[in-house]
Order: sequence, then C-alpha cells, then structure tokens
Amino acid sequence: MGDGIARASTADFAICAGDGQNEATMPEENGPDVSLRVSNVTKRFGDFTAVEDLSFEVRRGRVFGFLGPNGAGKTTTIRMIVGITAPDEGTITLDGKYVSHELQSRIGYLPEERGLYKKMRVLDQLRYFAALKDVPRIEAEKRIDHWLGRMQLAEWKNKKTTDLSKGMQQKIQFIATVLHDPDVLILDEPFSGLDPINVEFLMDVIDEYRSAEKTIIFSTHLMSTAEKLCHDILLINKARKVVAGSLREIKESYGSNLIAFRGVNADGLINDTSLVSRIVTHADELELHLAPGVDAQTLLKRMVDSGVLVSKFERTEPSLNDIFIEQIGGPGAVLESKGGLG
Amino acid sequence: MIRTTKFLAIVKHEYKKVVLKWSFLIGTLMLPLLAGVFTVIPLIIFSLKGEPTRITVVDRSGRILPRLQRNLSPDRLIEKAKTAARDAMMEIDATQEERMRNQAAQFMQGFVLTEYDASGRSDEEIRQELLGKVVSGAVDAYLLIPANIGTPDARFEFRSRKGGDFISNDTFKDALNDAVRSQRLADANISEEQVAVLSRPVNFDAKGIDETGAEKDTGGVFIASFAIGLLIYITLTIYGQAILGAVVEEKETRIAEILFSSARPFELMGGKLVGVGLAGLTQLGIWVSTASLLLGFLALQADFGPLLDTVPTITPLMIVYFLVFFLIGFFVYASIFALIGSMVTSMQEGGQFAFPPIMIMLGAFYFCFAVIRDPNSTLSFWVTIAPFLAPITMPVRILAEMPPFWQIALSIFVNVIAIAGVVWVTARVYKVGMLMYGKRATIPEVWKWIRHS
Repeated sequence: MGDGIARASTADFAICAGDGQNEATMPEENGPDVSLRVSNVTKRFGDFTAVEDLSFEVRRGRVFGFLGPNGAGKTTTIRMIVGITAPDEGTITLDGKYVSHELQSRIGYLPEERGLYKKMRVLDQLRYFAALKDVPRIEAEKRIDHWLGRMQLAEWKNKKTTDLSKGMQQKIQFIATVLHDPDVLILDEPFSGLDPINVEFLMDVIDEYRSAEKTIIFSTHLMSTAEKLCHDILLINKARKVVAGSLREIKESYGSNLIAFRGVNADGLINDTSLVSRIVTHADELELHLAPGVDAQTLLKRMVDSGVLVSKFERTEPSLNDIFIEQIGGPGAVLESKGGLG
Repeated sequence: MIRTTKFLAIVKHEYKKVVLKWSFLIGTLMLPLLAGVFTVIPLIIFSLKGEPTRITVVDRSGRILPRLQRNLSPDRLIEKAKTAARDAMMEIDATQEERMRNQAAQFMQGFVLTEYDASGRSDEEIRQELLGKVVSGAVDAYLLIPANIGTPDARFEFRSRKGGDFISNDTFKDALNDAVRSQRLADANISEEQVAVLSRPVNFDAKGIDETGAEKDTGGVFIASFAIGLLIYITLTIYGQAILGAVVEEKETRIAEILFSSARPFELMGGKLVGVGLAGLTQLGIWVSTASLLLGFLALQADFGPLLDTVPTITPLMIVYFLVFFLIGFFVYASIFALIGSMVTSMQEGGQFAFPPIMIMLGAFYFCFAVIRDPNSTLSFWVTIAPFLAPITMPVRILAEMPPFWQIALSIFVNVIAIAGVVWVTARVYKVGMLMYGKRATIPEVWKWIRHS
C-alpha cells in the first residue's frame, strides 16, 4: 500500500465523501446517493472569514462526521445548511434544490447550544416546535406520545422544563429535532451531557435513521465518538477543509506507517531516525511511526536480526484523534476554545 | 413572504405564553381591584362611624341650640354628604387633605345633643361637673355657648375626648358656625333667606366648545383624558417589557437557534409582536369593559346620575382612533424592546437598555397634561404628530377635543412610517443579534448589521 495517496494535507485536495475503493461508486455530479451538496461556500463576518471555499457532499444512509476544533467554522457551516444564514459565496443544495426557508421543514437540527422554554410544559414546547415545522396537530400529538414513550418520559409530559433533569431536557430537545421526521438530521454534539445509557439509546436512534436512508450529519469535537459512529468524515480547521473522505479510507492512508510495538533491547533500532520518525509512548507499548520509505517488514527483519525480543509487533491504524491532532497541529489547537460564532 | 400557518402558530404560542401566565391574570384583576380598593376602602373605613357623639350643650344665649340641632339633623347631613361627594368627583386637583375631608363629609355623623340647665351656676362649676362627665365617659364632649354671641370675643368652648376625630369635629364646627351665623343675622334683622339669596355664588356656566361650535361639558374631560393617557402608557410599558423578556429568554436559552432553523426571523419577530399585542388588547379589553360596567352600575345609582353626565361622550369613531393609536404605539415600542432584547445577553442588561424608550413614553405621558390644558396649542399639535409621542398624546387630545381630521391622518401617517423604520431596523438586528452569544452587541456592531444585512 503506497503512502500518502489519499492523504489530504491541504484543503485544495478534495476527496469526495465516497468509499474511494471503487471508482464506480464515486458519486457523480448528481449521484443518487448524494443528498446534500455544499459547493465552494464562503462566509465572512466583516474581516473575519468563518468558512472559506468549502465543498463537500453528504450521502444518504451514512453518518457524516463533521469534525473540527472549536471555532473552526462548524456551526457557521451548519447554520448555512439549515438556512439560518446564507453563504456569501457558493451554493448549498439538498436533492438538487437550493436550501431555503421552504426546505427547513425537511431538516432536523439539534444545535450545540440547547434550550427550552423554562416555564413551559414539555407537551406545549413539543407542540410548538412541531407546529413550526408544519406537522399537523393530530399527527404531532401522535408523534409526541410515541417519542416520549420511547424516551421513557411519558409521565413528564405535563411538567415544566425546570422540573426536568439536564439529561431529560437533552432528550426532549432531541425529540423536538425529530418530531417532523426530517430527511436530514443535523446533530451538533448530541451526546454532551447524556449518561452512557442514553448515549447508547441515541446511537440506536441514529442508526435507525441511517437504515431508513436518511442523511445524517454529526458534528463533534470528540474523535472517539465520531470514530464509532461515522462512515464519512470531514475535518475542518480555521475555516478550511483539512481531511475528507470515508473513515476507512482515511485511516488506511494514515495507518500504513504505524506499528504498535512491545519488546526488549530495541532502543538502538527505534531511535534510528532513518527507520522510525517518531515514537509515542503508551502505557504498555510504543507506537512507532515509520520513517518515509521504510516498511514494516523491513523494520521487523532488522529487529529480529539484531536480537530484539519482540513480544508485540502489529501494524495499526491511527485513531481519529491522532489524525486530528496531526492535521490540526498539536493538542493546543484542539483545546483552544472559543465562544461566539463557531 | 410570511407563511400563514407558521405565522399563526407563532402568534398563538406568544399569545398563550402571555395570557396563560399567573402574572397576566393577577395583572388583569389587579388594576380594577386597585382602582376599586382606592375608592371603596376609604369609604368603608370612614363609614365605620360607630357610636354617635354625645355632646352636652350649655346654651347661655338660649337661642343657638335649636338651630344647631336643626343643622345636625339627618336630613341636613345627607344633603351635605351629597354635595361633598359631587365636589370630590369634580375636583381632582384637590389636595390630599381636602380630599379626605370631602370623603369624610360624605358620611353622616351621628350626634346626640343634650341640653344642660345652667341656671344659677357659674361657668367654673359647670366646667368642673362636665369635665368629670367627659372623663368618666358619660358624655363624649361638652360645648359652652356664651350668653352674648354677638361680641367679637365670644368664645365657644368645646372639649372632647374624641379630639382626634376631625371628621366629627369638623362637621360639628360647621354646624355650629352656621347656627351662630344665622342667629347673628337674625339679631341684625336680616332674614336668612335674604342672605342666602344675596350670597349665592354666581352660576359659572363653563363649557368647552368643540370644533363644530357645539357645547361640551369639560368637567369629566380632564379625568377621562388623563385616564386614557395613563392606561395606554401603562399597557405599552407592561407589554414592551413582556416582549423584551420573551426575546431575551429565547436568546438566553438559545431557543432562537432552533426557531431560526424552523422559520424566518421576520416571521418569528412579527408573530411575537402580534401575539403579545393581542394579549395586550385582551387585557385592555377586560379593563375597559370592567370600567364600562362599573360606570353603568353607578349610573343606575340615582345619586351618581349627575356625575356621570360629566363623563365625556366617547363615540365609536374615537374608540377606533384609540385602538389605532394603541396599536401604533404597541408596534413602535414593542419593536424597540425586541431590538434591545436581541442585543443584550441577559434580562438585567435589557432592563438598563430599556431605560431610554421608557423615558420617551414617560415624556409623552407628561406632555398629556399640556395637551389636556390646551388641546389646540402649537405644542399640542407637535407632540400629537411626533413619532413615539403621538401614540400616547393623540388619544388624550382626541378625548380632550377632537382635532381636525387631517391632523389625525398626518399623525397616523408619520407614525406608521416610524413603525416601518423601526421594524426594518429591528428585523436586521434581530436576525444577527439573536444568534450572537456571550457578549452584548456594541452600537457600531449593530450599525454594521443594519447596513449589511
């Protein structure tokens, strides 16, 4: 496997959100799988460019991970998709139609910043959100009961928000997002504040939507969650695309030079920078990054030849977190937190 | 541009949010209740007259007591109470003390007068005895009427255990004054009727004239104009604040983000204004109907008939005008409050920024006095045309004296343009401001939003 083929180290290197395994499955310009298409979108706020020349496609029946550190432009991009703000340049289409207020009722959006009316009954809030999404009253009642039942919140129907726990409010918020049975589901940090049981539950629901061939955009800065859930990934930083593609493909492209190693007497070899470019120490093993041009087989042979006692030598994939850190440039960039327009 | 079903859903939501709150119910009941309390409670308190005042009268002149008794007869007291009640309604500029006196006088005080036979005893002896009686509680007071009531130094000695009961004291003093005065006149051979005729006040026939030259009664105009100005001012303040609160809540709780992903900002803002405005109309409607019922009830009480005649006639056209100006005022100020709400980050901050519009409203309210005093002055003309002021001042002026139609039309025109301007600005600020978290928008920022969006 050749190195660096699918590595998108610059934003100009655009990879379609496809499998990439087979040219035939690459989405065409109007490929049947693609529901949402963002083309060369730029958004500025005064002198500040929040999103710059961003293009990507989202396919039905897959979970699209929209990743990036805080302040990278995720929320701004999502707001443009949802029709809250309009791009300064470029276009966004949903099934070939430009997104507009008319299409809003096909999108379910769970914002990162969540809120419910404090002094209003759960039922009334859900009714209102349903009405705003043009769900007929009777249908809305049915769905509210269904979802409250599923979320085990039926007995909280007539309670006010202030009587609910944080987790319950989260779930109510999620119900509000899906009440109108949207074709596109955009979830911004949907798991924050949820206990593991509810995280699991929500993942099931997301999977259900995926099976129903809906479009799901999942935005997070938690790489471990994204890794579990997403088929396709878009990583942006400082308003620009950094990495895009299927998770599989991306990992493979990064993973070919990673070795999980445990052994004795290896110090001389692994400190040779012509063989190993970088060493990351884990609890009970080392992660060796092979130097360019060195393949795993060569290194293993050298080790055996030089009498290293190898107890573990495994080619591994990098975690999404590793890729993220490598691309964004160190943990500092990731932890950098900024309020306001993301 | 506005999608009806969505818009109606927003209107309904905002309306219910205001009307189904306890504060609405309490507020709605509170105003009539307070009005009732402030008029009825004093009446009840003063009407708790308890025991009649027992007064022993020593009449050395021998001529005053019958007159005094006549003056304190129930018939005369009722007469007096009615006059006082009328005065109370007419003189709203009376001082607090005068008002209390007036109110007090509306209640008949019971007096039981006993004559004391003073023949052959000195003042000092009588004083000793009567003081004893007063102290022991056998009587409440005594009055010593001197023999010669005509001399300037004649002294009427009144000692009472109820010294603080100014109501009784005043009534009694008035009655005594009248009795002595009429006796002095009689002594001077002037008949009382003659005096009554000669000292009758002039019949001051004061009536305003409206634009057609027709007479109209001005008595109640002041009160009614003042009331309508106050009512509009209060309602605008309350509902402006309600809008501010609702906007800040949606921003603070980040509900705005969900709302904006479901409807246009303009639909949301418009729905909010209309919904809250309807809630305001509901409350105003309840108040006005309560007031009408109350007036109707009073009209049935024969005693108040003449008073009600002074309430100015309110024609259906006036009501239409009031409604128009109320709505204009509501939309102007509600938009301003929505604008403030979308700029700030918390209700406290909102409260500080709400100060300027509230000051303008208060200013408009104070201009009402100038308008009531002289509805046709140049000042009245300008303050009833000016944007932001007219919604409060124009209804007052219409009630005080109907201005020419072109002035009303001009005022409506100017203020509708003001609404359009304010709504235009607010809509621009609203859609950006509502999604900006963490810090308050600065004026240059807001200015940028207005220019760019």
